[in-house]
Amino acid sequence: MTHGSAVRNTWVPAASGWTVTVVSQSGRPASTPVDFAGLDDAALVTAAVAGGRDAFDAIVERHRRTVYQVCYRFVSNHEDASDLSQESFVRAWRGLKTFKGQSALSTWLYRIAVNVCLNRVGAKAAPTAALDSIEHFEDTRVEGAQAAMLREERAAAVRRAIALLPKKQRATLILRTYHELSHQQIAEILGSSVGATKANFFHALANLKKLLGNQP
Amino acid sequence: MTHLTTDELVDAIDGVLDPARRSHLDTCAPCREQLTDLGQVLADAHAVAVPEPSPLFWQHLSSRVRQAVAAEPAAAGGWRDWLRWPVLAPLAALTLIVMALAIALPRPVPATGPGRSAQVDTDTTLPDSFAIVAELVGDLDWDTAASAGLTITPGAADRAVLDLTASEQQELTRLLQAELTRAKS
Repeated sequence: MTHGSAVRNTWVPAASGWTVTVVSQSGRPASTPVDFAGLDDAALVTAAVAGGRDAFDAIVERHRRTVYQVCYRFVSNHEDASDLSQESFVRAWRGLKTFKGQSALSTWLYRIAVNVCLNRVGAKAAPTAALDSIEHFEDTRVEGAQAAMLREERAAAVRRAIALLPKKQRATLILRTYHELSHQQIAEILGSSVGATKANFFHALANLKKLLGNQP
Repeated sequence: MTHLTTDELVDAIDGVLDPARRSHLDTCAPCREQLTDLGQVLADAHAVAVPEPSPLFWQHLSSRVRQAVAAEPAAAGGWRDWLRWPVLAPLAALTLIVMALAIALPRPVPATGPGRSAQVDTDTTLPDSFAIVAELVGDLDWDTAASAGLTITPGAADRAVLDLTASEQQELTRLLQAELTRAKS
């Protein structure tokens, strides 16, 4: 092995102290590689904070779908959701040392993703065509392709209506409806009270009803 | 009986409304209608799905995150950075080398004046820090130390130093210079 090669030693904290995986001269691990996928979130965070980027990779793999779906709910397109997901995980890496484990890692990641999304959507103008298209939407239930098209139009109308909601109402609606988080969890993520979360949820639904017009 | 509050309507949607208040819905058409409307809007929202990305996307996302994180400094910060074995191992090794040199190098003998006999340094005690290290590892045989990961392979210290960040290398240099200065004095 030459000096400065890409092969490096990996040091992983274990419950009873430090477990060391030394890469041998042949480039093969001298001891059994750590199965990060088998570690719980707390152990992964500890390992990642100790500099274990492989442990952070495992965190990303475990939570990437959830983070992506939160981001997609805010922006409704794949490219932006992908960018926001990446930004969320980079911010998580930067702030990992501040994660004290007082809440679940998933809750913490939700908080980061929601903040990243709210910052982004706040900087972008809301879709201008939303209200017109929503108000003139007609739900003529027919079979086949036309029905599928109408369902998609309806879904698009709902997405646009959600995009017009005030930030906290939107975040509350997304976390409650699509991620089935409790009001308590949402309150932790948004830094508000349970009462405020419930009020936001109620007003989100009421505003959504207004935005969608007189549809059944 | 008063109408349901917003809080109670949310509880009703969640299915956790107090039974005593739930009975109000049997007799209050406006509350019942409001609950139905909210339920319908919620069902509309529920029906909006997130399109499933390509299976390759997830690996691609992980790869993008990995690259972005690689450009970032390590997650930990502050003094805890120094409690990492890749930092501590070469530091310990280099400190031992410096201390060994300090012991082995000849020390200047103080000038002797007339009528005074030359004083020979007969102090054979080890420096405190070396004594602590010796006490800690004195009972360990080589195999035990190796199995505990306390030994380093040839070139490991060099590689560990190369893995240090710029600030860590600066601090290491400072510590070594301080140690050398102390040893010379």
